[in-house]
Amino acid sequence: MTALPLTLNLWAIAICVLGVDFALIAKERLAPRVLAIACCAAAALSFLGGAVCLAVGPSGDVALWTFPVIGSITIGTTTMGSWFACVAALVYVPTSLFTLRYLERYADNYSLRAFAIWYCALLAAIIGLFLCRDVTSFFIDWEVIAIASALLVAFEWRHVRNARAAFLMLGMSEAGTMAALLAMLLARSGSLWFGGPPTVLGGALSWAVFLLAFFGFGVKAGLLPINSWLPRAHPLAPGNISALLSGVILNVGVYGIVLVNMMLAPSHIPVQGLVVMVVGAASALVGILYATIVDDMKAMLAYSSIENIGIVITALGTAFVFTAVGQPLLAGIGFAAAMYHLANHSAYKGLLFLGASTVDMKLGTRSMNALGGIIRVLPITTALFFIGVLGIAAIPPLNGFVSEWMTFQALLRSAELAPLTFRVTFALCGAVLALTAALTVTCFVKVFGMSFLGWQRTERPKTSEASRSMLLGMGLLGLACLALGVLPTYVLPVIGRASTAVFGSDVVTGTLVPPFFKPAAGPAPLPADFVATFHALGAQLGSWLPGRGLVVMLRGGAANPVVFAMSTTYLCLIIALLLLITYGLVRSVTRARRAERSKTWTGGMTHLPSEMTYTATGFSNPVRVIFDAVFDPTEVENTRETIHHHFRSAIRRTREDVFLSERLVSDPLTHAVRSAAAFLARMHHGRLSAYVGYALGTLLVVLAIASAAQP
Amino acid sequence: MLNAVVEHLRTIWPDVTWREQHQTIYADVDPQYLRAMAKYFRAQQWRIGTIVARENERGLDVRYFFYATSHPGWLELRVEVDSNERKLPSLTNVAIAADWFEREIEDLFSVRFSDHPRLGDFVLHNDRWPEDLGLMRPQVQSAADVPEQVRAWRPKRVLEEEGAFVMTVGPVYSGDAESALFLLETVGEDVVRAVPRLFFKYRAIEKIAEGRTIHDVLLLAERCNGTSAIGNGLAYCQAVERAVDIPLPARAALLRVFFAELERVRHHMTSIREICASTALQVAESQALWIEEQLLRISGELTGHRYLFGVLAIGGLMTDYDRGTLDNAVAEVSALMAQVEPLRKALESASSFLDRIEQVGIVSGESARTFEIVGPFARASGVAADMRAVQPYGAYADVLFDVPTETEGDGYARLRVLFSEMVQSLRIMRGVVADLPSGSVTSDVRVGAGSALGWSEAPRGASVQWVECDAQGLVLRYRLTPPSFRNWHGFHVATEDFAFQDLPIVLATLDLSVAENDR
Amino acid sequence: MKNWFLRGLAAGIRTERLPDGNVSTALSPGLPKTTEHASEEQAKALAAVCPTDAIRAVGSIGEVDEDRCVLCMRCKGRDGQRWRRDVTWAHAANANSQDPLESSFRKSLHVRIIDAGDCGSCLNEVAQLNGPSYNLHRVGVFITPTPRQADVLLVVGPATRQMRDALVAAYEAMPEPKRVVAVGACAASGGVFGPSLMSAAGVGEIIPVDLVVPGCPPPPHAIIDALRLVCGQTKRAVHK
Repeated sequence: MTALPLTLNLWAIAICVLGVDFALIAKERLAPRVLAIACCAAAALSFLGGAVCLAVGPSGDVALWTFPVIGSITIGTTTMGSWFACVAALVYVPTSLFTLRYLERYADNYSLRAFAIWYCALLAAIIGLFLCRDVTSFFIDWEVIAIASALLVAFEWRHVRNARAAFLMLGMSEAGTMAALLAMLLARSGSLWFGGPPTVLGGALSWAVFLLAFFGFGVKAGLLPINSWLPRAHPLAPGNISALLSGVILNVGVYGIVLVNMMLAPSHIPVQGLVVMVVGAASALVGILYATIVDDMKAMLAYSSIENIGIVITALGTAFVFTAVGQPLLAGIGFAAAMYHLANHSAYKGLLFLGASTVDMKLGTRSMNALGGIIRVLPITTALFFIGVLGIAAIPPLNGFVSEWMTFQALLRSAELAPLTFRVTFALCGAVLALTAALTVTCFVKVFGMSFLGWQRTERPKTSEASRSMLLGMGLLGLACLALGVLPTYVLPVIGRASTAVFGSDVVTGTLVPPFFKPAAGPAPLPADFVATFHALGAQLGSWLPGRGLVVMLRGGAANPVVFAMSTTYLCLIIALLLLITYGLVRSVTRARRAERSKTWTGGMTHLPSEMTYTATGFSNPVRVIFDAVFDPTEVENTRETIHHHFRSAIRRTREDVFLSERLVSDPLTHAVRSAAAFLARMHHGRLSAYVGYALGTLLVVLAIASAAQP
Repeated sequence: MLNAVVEHLRTIWPDVTWREQHQTIYADVDPQYLRAMAKYFRAQQWRIGTIVARENERGLDVRYFFYATSHPGWLELRVEVDSNERKLPSLTNVAIAADWFEREIEDLFSVRFSDHPRLGDFVLHNDRWPEDLGLMRPQVQSAADVPEQVRAWRPKRVLEEEGAFVMTVGPVYSGDAESALFLLETVGEDVVRAVPRLFFKYRAIEKIAEGRTIHDVLLLAERCNGTSAIGNGLAYCQAVERAVDIPLPARAALLRVFFAELERVRHHMTSIREICASTALQVAESQALWIEEQLLRISGELTGHRYLFGVLAIGGLMTDYDRGTLDNAVAEVSALMAQVEPLRKALESASSFLDRIEQVGIVSGESARTFEIVGPFARASGVAADMRAVQPYGAYADVLFDVPTETEGDGYARLRVLFSEMVQSLRIMRGVVADLPSGSVTSDVRVGAGSALGWSEAPRGASVQWVECDAQGLVLRYRLTPPSFRNWHGFHVATEDFAFQDLPIVLATLDLSVAENDR
Repeated sequence: MKNWFLRGLAAGIRTERLPDGNVSTALSPGLPKTTEHASEEQAKALAAVCPTDAIRAVGSIGEVDEDRCVLCMRCKGRDGQRWRRDVTWAHAANANSQDPLESSFRKSLHVRIIDAGDCGSCLNEVAQLNGPSYNLHRVGVFITPTPRQADVLLVVGPATRQMRDALVAAYEAMPEPKRVVAVGACAASGGVFGPSLMSAAGVGEIIPVDLVVPGCPPPPHAIIDALRLVCGQTKRAVHK
């Protein structure tokens, strides 16, 4: 036990506070620099602190002050908190670098000083949240996050839409906070401290805590059906803030769910896990459906965040179920998949948001229907964006593949569950996620193919590649995507450390990254020829490298020694090798021949205007048509105009796709509240006799209750 | 009948001189009357036959031809146009069928039609030629007079929807399709509107006919559309024969009917084959191809040319045919028709085939009437427009036949019309051969100056042609209005809101020829 | 579907042998050929009948330029004019025309058809090639929708000006080695339409042509003959 992680984190917070101070006193134009230096340093320190904590274990809790009623304010590091802090820092460092030059676009209209202050404050609050060890400090910190992020969303406050989106975000966040607070108080009756053994709650109370916490924190995490704020706030926030919202703030919601439902009062009813899975899978599908049909690049990424958090939550759900039925090792797979996907999502979504913001900044639009051929003006941005696209589309050996593969493996472990309903739910969630994965590819083929490749569709400003600090920010995230993809066996032990906070021991490393040649005590030894094959491939690297091997695998019994195995590390090598061989073959076979290169065959049209090429909407229209029942669009306009009776002059069609959660939950709710308010307002018509009547009625009711209460 | 019409006209427009001659009412009118007159005649169910512009050293005039649909009779309104101002009122507001005629005249004669909403890129493509080129004006003599200027062209778009774009098909598409460009406005999947861009194959037949002999122009008339050489050639021959007043021997008149119907049978078989091919019904396509080939062979054996080129001549036919050969041909066609019948039955009971052609490319009777669609296309929408019956020409007044119609106006209705017409054509051929008088099939072709209109029911519908020739037998102006030019105008009516994969089927059932339209 | 299959089987094999020698007018209209007439006057009279100058009187010989013949049939009924009745009409366009394709194309030739202003009859004859009587596939020739995959460009029509860009684009889109076959009188010489304001004097004015099939329209057998010639299935001297 060492206090070093805590110290590092406190230093990080101190630097953030310093950043706020400097931003207040420094010249406005220096604000971006203050922000970048302070936040990079603070996030790096926080990352270091988290890493040390994960390496050597948590520090003890420190009670700072004690107040009457609310008790002690306690801080301390945990392995779980450290994991989330590391993931947050992974996004924060590159985003802060990116922000340095990105803020230029707002310099004329908005206060950069204010931006720097809220940005630093948000980082401080996020680092702090993972240190909070009691309900009071947790919720105070939580509120700071909510307010700071809402202010950042409303940064371009002159647009009324931004202010509205920020209010909606804040309002929904507060409602969720109330539910979550209630859940925490119920979970830990008597103590506000997070420490001590987990409580085991009775049936009804367990359900109450589970539902309140899951949906309360689910608002922050962007889960269906309580995420109508998300598609409104993310696209309107400044680009770098969108990256943080998706890469950090959503994770905070997941942290809340893990904290309450896995650590403080662990869910022990399997059906709760199924609820988690179903909500996760539904979020994933609905998220990606909307992502596929929208044409605003940032809105698409926002909906895609719903999808990714959905996958995280589905994987987490399997962990819930397996924990509840007493299969901690299998729960470990689900938990590892969830945490891995969380980190992956932060990395590639951060990268994609920064890329989309670069495009927006340089070309002045985010509409995929207007963009096209970006590769010719922003080649490096395009290359980096492509890494993110490969990652999110789960193309091996990039990072998305690893965690989605593990999620599917966790779902396939339903074979170990007895009740049929469980198996069916697992199978259905698996099917939904498979559909989601296919749609994800469609969605990102669309964004990359329609915007970055293809023809220039509209007039665009003359522009040049993004500045070096912006590219560095995106490059770091691209590197993270590659590393998370190619080196899963080095990431999983880290998640294993984090899992000790939930399961009491490391349930991941031993299960998924077993020592390769040392036959473990439990499972049957590997067959000799299998070992020989992998030996020849160099799997023994694990014996002298700091890792354990380069294959993620689950070992089974004698009949089935290897349940599943996967190695993106080898896959990467093999892909590289195959590409090399193919290139060599093609070169050697066609050396004598010249490749024919000529223009695309366009049916004999010599001048093909860009309006004659597929638009992004056209590309995704089949999805829109097939899933019309889900979108249930409102036809705003459908008119046909003719002149001189017969000459069609215009066909105007506009349709509005209102987001499912908004259409089915928020809107009816708002409507109901409004009608109730209108009904109540009718009681206040100002006639004296009526008010006297109300007073009398109230008196009678009180008397009746009082007399009934008499023993 | 026409007398009464003329009397009535004199009461409405007393200051116009109305004359009646050869079943035609003539009048020279002031352009300001045009719209009112067009409106009146449209209301009386008269239709536009053709609009002919002509320019020579003496000036520029435009003739509007209308024909009655309830009795034989034509109307010719001639207006003189100031050759400096070059302006006329547009008739599109009262007779939409005038639309393409006016666009063509605007493109080729540089005459502006006031109030026409869609002038511009039409015959001469604007990415290649300036709009006021006036190709048909006498001063344009050679290719050097019409230099090309390549510049950007963008289609007119009407679909205003997020993400809407224009999907292009053509001008080179499919396996052996004719060159034409289709602009499909869509947001993906379903096509909201489709318009053709034609005239890629514009050969300027009307321009190159000028100065050629009346006999050589017949070659152009036949080759305007090689698959209905008789249909278009016949209208031309009749125009010349009326212009120069050449008598037609009775035997030749009947034999012309015989060949016109033989061509109709072959042509309809081709159309049926194309419909089968468009639905990827391989067996039916092969069987139709086989029958079509046999019909081509019957034509080849009978006349020496599989497409009946060189059968017609001004004043009659190129050669005579003896009774035995004709009987033989009729017997062979009858035998083939016995094979067509099972094909028809099989198609009409093939549900997968019907699913694809029913409710596809629907054109209502009202639209067909408004756009003045002609031929089998119109008859499938319940409009019994058939020049053979409405304005009988040649020997058609003496032969017995029915005009089959259907009312649905969809692809299937058009297919049924084609089958029924084949039966009628065979009936006419039989009748002609049975009653064939003896005598010559040629007459003395004298030359003389004159102009006249000729018309016929080509396989695709009414072909209306106008010829003016001089005393040396040279053609001064040749105006060719083939049926496909009329029917392409209605193409967009059949193609609002359809599935992209139905485009070949719609095209096949509409039975439109690009060559015939482009001329 | 089953019924169609059975109907197809019941129809039996309708494919006919490729002709070797003369054929009847049912299959081919034939072409007038150079004839030695009885007198110079007779030759001149025939030349005067010909509307496209395909027949030229050289002494008492009526020389026929097959490329210019539009099969108007006006010389057919006249005394003395001799006609060819075979279908091996294809010949090299000019001295620069390339030889047939190499042997690897002999059993598999892909053809893109370009309509450069055709009246419809040439295209209709090309369409007949896929019919059971001719069965183009048996000689290993396939019609492809894109010039990208085509070895041969089969052009019909007089190369109208508004189709020229498309024609050149299609030719340029084809990979080497490639050949161009001009089918029909219009593609060969402009026919009745060209040279004129809007039509060329044959496709050869626009893109290099290798084989020319005269006729208005050339019968399907003459087109098959040209395609077999261009892929090297049959061999004969094509240069005049």
